[in-house]
Parts: sequence; structure tokens; C-alpha cells
Amino acid sequence: MQDSSQIDLIADSAGRLFARHDPLAQADDIWPAPLWTEAEEAGFTLALLTEDQGGFGFSPAEALAPVRIAAAQAVPLPLGETVLANWLLAAAGLDPVEGPLGVSTDGRAVPFGRHLAGLVMLDADAATLTLSRPAAADWQHGSNIAGEPRDSLGALPADILASAPAPMAPATLHALLAALRSVQMAGAAGRVLDMTLHYAGEREQFGRALSRFQAIQHNCAIMASHVAAANVAADLAIASLPQALNAPEAFVTIAAAAKIRTGEAATQVAALSHQIHGAIGFSHEYALHPLTRRLWSWRDEDGTDAEWCRLLAARVTALPERGLWPFLTALHEEAA
Amino acid sequence: MSLPAYPLQQLQPRHSALRHEVRAFLQEALPPGWTASRRAQSWSGFDAGFSARLGARGWLGMTLPKAYGGHERDAVERHIVVEELLAAGAPVAAHWIADRQSAPLLLRHGTEEQRLTILPRIAAGTCCFGIGMSEANSGSDLASVRTKAVRNDAGWVLTGAKLWTTYAQYAHYMIVFCRTGASEARHGGFSQMLVDMSLPGISVKPIPDIAGEHHINEVAFDDVQLPPDALIGHEGDGWAQVMSELAFERSGPDRFLSSFALIDELLRGLGSVAPDRAPAALGRIAARLIVLRQMSLSVAGMLARGEQPVLAAAVVKDLGALFEQEIPELARDLIDPGAVDPEFAATFARTLLAAPSFSLRGGTREILRGIIARGLGLR
Repeated sequence: MQDSSQIDLIADSAGRLFARHDPLAQADDIWPAPLWTEAEEAGFTLALLTEDQGGFGFSPAEALAPVRIAAAQAVPLPLGETVLANWLLAAAGLDPVEGPLGVSTDGRAVPFGRHLAGLVMLDADAATLTLSRPAAADWQHGSNIAGEPRDSLGALPADILASAPAPMAPATLHALLAALRSVQMAGAAGRVLDMTLHYAGEREQFGRALSRFQAIQHNCAIMASHVAAANVAADLAIASLPQALNAPEAFVTIAAAAKIRTGEAATQVAALSHQIHGAIGFSHEYALHPLTRRLWSWRDEDGTDAEWCRLLAARVTALPERGLWPFLTALHEEAA
Repeated sequence: MSLPAYPLQQLQPRHSALRHEVRAFLQEALPPGWTASRRAQSWSGFDAGFSARLGARGWLGMTLPKAYGGHERDAVERHIVVEELLAAGAPVAAHWIADRQSAPLLLRHGTEEQRLTILPRIAAGTCCFGIGMSEANSGSDLASVRTKAVRNDAGWVLTGAKLWTTYAQYAHYMIVFCRTGASEARHGGFSQMLVDMSLPGISVKPIPDIAGEHHINEVAFDDVQLPPDALIGHEGDGWAQVMSELAFERSGPDRFLSSFALIDELLRGLGSVAPDRAPAALGRIAARLIVLRQMSLSVAGMLARGEQPVLAAAVVKDLGALFEQEIPELARDLIDPGAVDPEFAATFARTLLAAPSFSLRGGTREILRGIIARGLGLR
């Protein structure tokens, strides 16, 4: 059982730090260096490590709480990627690395590549994990539709700083990144709901607040239900993180489900939030788009809905007749 | 107020052991001919003998105190038994309402006499209850009910009629939500009455459903003389009591597993000849199921901790009904119901014809969304 007071402390501290980020003041591709330094000083980047590994022995839910909160504030930092990279390094028996890190199987569309202090890669065929430090100039710049850097390497890094036997297969790493996106989507979708509820309560038309109209109330209820489902999906993915190392089949199934379900929530929540906000939500000066553009980006990154649905479908169609229910219950019992 | 939290419910080895006990029992207790179309009856399959066998195994009235015939297990253990029964399509209707909502209501608000005499029968699976809420002119607007109980020297005289009462034809008791007094307050002046269905003046009229089957009824009360202790809880507290009863009615795995037999049939029917668009549908079904099941389990955890998760249950029921109703539509998109074997066709037909009720029974979609909106502070 997780200690709810500890997770509250972590969430409070992350909330205070990331609340200082103004999603609108931040033009695309400006690196918020002071925020990164403080996040690192707060220990957020080592949060998945045990005390022996140089971390704090947090539960996965505690470790990922700052990542979710940063996403809710549209913070343009690879915090989740760095948390996972240090965790992978530790699992491979290597020391954690200071600075922002990336994780990739192919060196393509790496979040914030140009700003990274290190890149953790699993090569697709050999079972090796490598740590490299590509120079800023090695990165071909790209970005997602939220304006977050998604940079690619022209050639795989030659300068390997450290390597070790890979702690997981590339397919599991792919699912790990999908799980990270699901956590980010849950965080951002929750914030979009809050903003929408606030707006609907303040904005008046026809002499009353939007929130007094039943059509608006029901759309808000639909949004809230999707956010609730997204939160549970993300929580499931987080709780099953340790299985990525010791029961990858089950982890990949849960990560796929989480990515699909949070992606569905992202679609519905973004659409309804814009509908309820009306024209102001469509303007660049209003702080809805830093979140909705991220939702629209993250739902397609690290495996599209179609890809993860194919994986889940292949698993459930391979089951024996009436095998779906035992399959579902076993997933949960393995995660417990 | 705000969005409810759904803490992940951890399962212990004892939960897993219980699950496997139930599975072994079902292997043996369900007849070999218990086909998909029978399983698709979900919780409307009625078999008094089966319910009594479950009672004998200790799987009814699980959360009740032992003094009342119960087993003092928690709501999560009950959830495990219930989801296994539903996933197997077991005929659970004879005990369903009694075990799900009448027993918790009587435990909380009944007299000691009612607890001592009725709860052990519910736990034994030999006591069938009906729900007396809706009326001809009171569907979603429950506060407009007209059935009334008037005090007399012998207790109460009940007059009026309830509608859509599932399995009233077999019920030993109905819990009737009725007016017992005038009140200025919209939700005042209501009480709940425990009505022995063998009393004179009660008539049960079948209402065949759209499939032509007889599950639901109209129940008329023609000056039925009730004893003084028919009153459940306190006179005038009926509204609060019926709302807490509905929290039990709305939270269980029965709110996302109604179409499960058809999902199994869909997987069987697709076999190796699935159309190209099948993976997108099947992946989404699996993803939603995994998440819905965890949400429902989380609500069971809230009940186990003694919380009253009205809002959390409303969210699960709304999402669950959408999911259940989508299954027949996905099934007909992927498999021509007329081109496969009769078992698939029968399972499809039964699920399709039951589907409209999924977002009506236990609170319509619109009522649930109103509850959620109120929880969000919008009304």
C-alpha cells in the first residue's frame, strides 16, 4: 500500500514548482533551464530509484506524481523520459546521470533531443543498453504539433559512454514510453477539465452562467467520466511499471490498454473543452491550447491507437475459447 | 466537490483463492448446455435452486454480520464472487436484488426483528426481493411517486401501483418507496415500506419486454394492510434511504458485464477470418474492459471502507452502459449475424434486445450525468 501522506507531500512540492511555469509565456522551444534545475534538485529525476541505487525508494505512483503534474501545467521538459532513463540505467547496473535524458530505440523523434545531456538506447537486435551523449549539432530538429522538440539523429551515436546488458526488450521499452504518454495525458486532461469547469462557472450568456445549462452540464459530466477513466488507466500503467522488468507480457498489455484509453479520453476531453470554451479557447492568448495541443500530440506518439489496438487484439484473439475473462483477471492479480 | 478519486484496489492471495473456488464451483454447477445465449441473460437468468446452492457455499450475504446469517467478508470479496458469476453468465436473478441492495438497506435501516428473520434467508439464497421505485407517472422523477401508505390502528394501509418491477412474480418481498406524509420539501414526506408479497390486496401483472419475455411487472396495492413494523427506518427519511440504496444498485460489475457473453462469442466467431477493421474494435474493447473493471473494483474498495460512493458509482455506470451498448454494434459490424451459427445469432439477438435497458435501469444516462454534474459543482 502506498503511503498517501508521502504522495501528497511529493505532489504539493511538484505542484508549487510547476505552477510557476506559465504555459503562455513560454514560446515554443525555449528551454526553461531554471525550472529544470529545480526539478532535478528536488530529486524528481531519480524518483524511481531505490535507496541503494541513489534514489528514495518511492513507489511508482509517488515517483510519477511530478510527471503527471508537470504535464498538467504543460511544462516543456523531458521529466518523465529522464525518470525512466535513470531507472533503466539503474536496472542495467549503471549509475544515474545528471541532466535531462532521452530514451529511444531508434534515435528518431526523441523528445527535447537538442537539450539532452544523455541518451539511453536499446538497439533493436543486440540485447544491449547504451548511454551516449550526442552533440546538440547532431540532432535534426523537429517538433510535435504542441511545439515540443522531437529531434532525430542522422546516425546512431558512435561515442558510447557506458553500456550493459539490456534490462528489457525494445518492445517493452516502446510500451514503457506509451505508458509515460498515458500518464501525461491523464494529467493534462484533468487540468483541461478543471479549466473548463471554471470557465463554465464564470462565463455568462443569456443572463446565466454556462454551467446552468443542462447541455453544458452533461458535456462536463462526459468529460469528467473520461478523465476518471484516464486517471485509472494511467494509475494501472504506473502500478505495473515494475512488471516491465519481471513480467513484460502483462506490462505491455496494461500499457497498451492505458495508452488506448487515455488517448480516447484525450480526444473527447479536448473536443468538449473547446466546444464549451467557445471562440476564446481557440485563441493563442488563452491557455487552453498548450494542453489540448499536447493531448493531440501525445495520443499519437509512442504508438498510435491503431498500433496498440492491433497488439491487444492479437493477444485476445490468441486466447482459448472463453479465455478473455481469465486473461483479464490474471492481469490484475499479477499487478497486485 | 470535484471528480472522485479511484484508488487502485490491491488484490490479496485470499482474493485469488476465492476466485478459483468460485470458478471450480461454476464448472460443476452450470449445466453442460449452458450456452452463450443462456449466458447472455446476464443477471436476468432466474434459477432458485442455483441461488440456494450459492447461499450454501457462503457466497450470498457475504458482507452481513454472522449474527444475521452473513459471512463478515468485505465488499471486495463480494465483488470477486459477483464478477465471476456474471462473467460466467450464471443465473443469479433469484437472489440478485436481495443480495445487492435489499440486504444492505435492511442491515442499515431495518428493525432488529427484520434483520433476524429476513437477512438469514437472503444469505441462504431463498428470499427474493423486488424493487418498488418507479410508477406509471414517476420514472426518472422519483419524487413524484403517488403510492401512499396511511397509518391506521393496525399499522399502514398501502395504496397505489409500482411499475417495471423485475421478477415481482417470484418476489417474497418488495421494498416500496411511497408517500407517508405531506411535506413542503420536495424530497420530504417519503418512506420505505417492507411489503410481504403474500398479503391480500397485491396483484402482479406481467409486462412482456421487447423480446417478448416476462421479467418485468406492474404491481398494484389495493388497500394492503401492512403491520406497523413494515416501515423501514424512520418515517420521512425515505428519500435519503432510497438514494443510498441506489448507490449499491449502481456500483457493481453488473454495470459493465451485461454484454460479456457476446464479447466471448465475437472472439469465437471471428476466429481466423477477422476483417481488417477487427483489431481496432477488439483492441478498444479490451482497453475499455481493463479500465472499467479496475474502476468498478475501486468502487468496491470504497464500499469496503464504509464510504458511500454515489458519484464514483454514477461515473462507472454511465461509462459501463455506453460500453455494454457498443458491443452489439461492434459485433454486427464485424460479423454478419445471419451468416454464422445459430448460437452467435441468438446471443447477438438477446444482447441487442436487452441493450436499450442498460442506460435506463438503475438510473437513466441523463439522471446519472445530472448526478455527476452536481458532484462537479455545476448544479
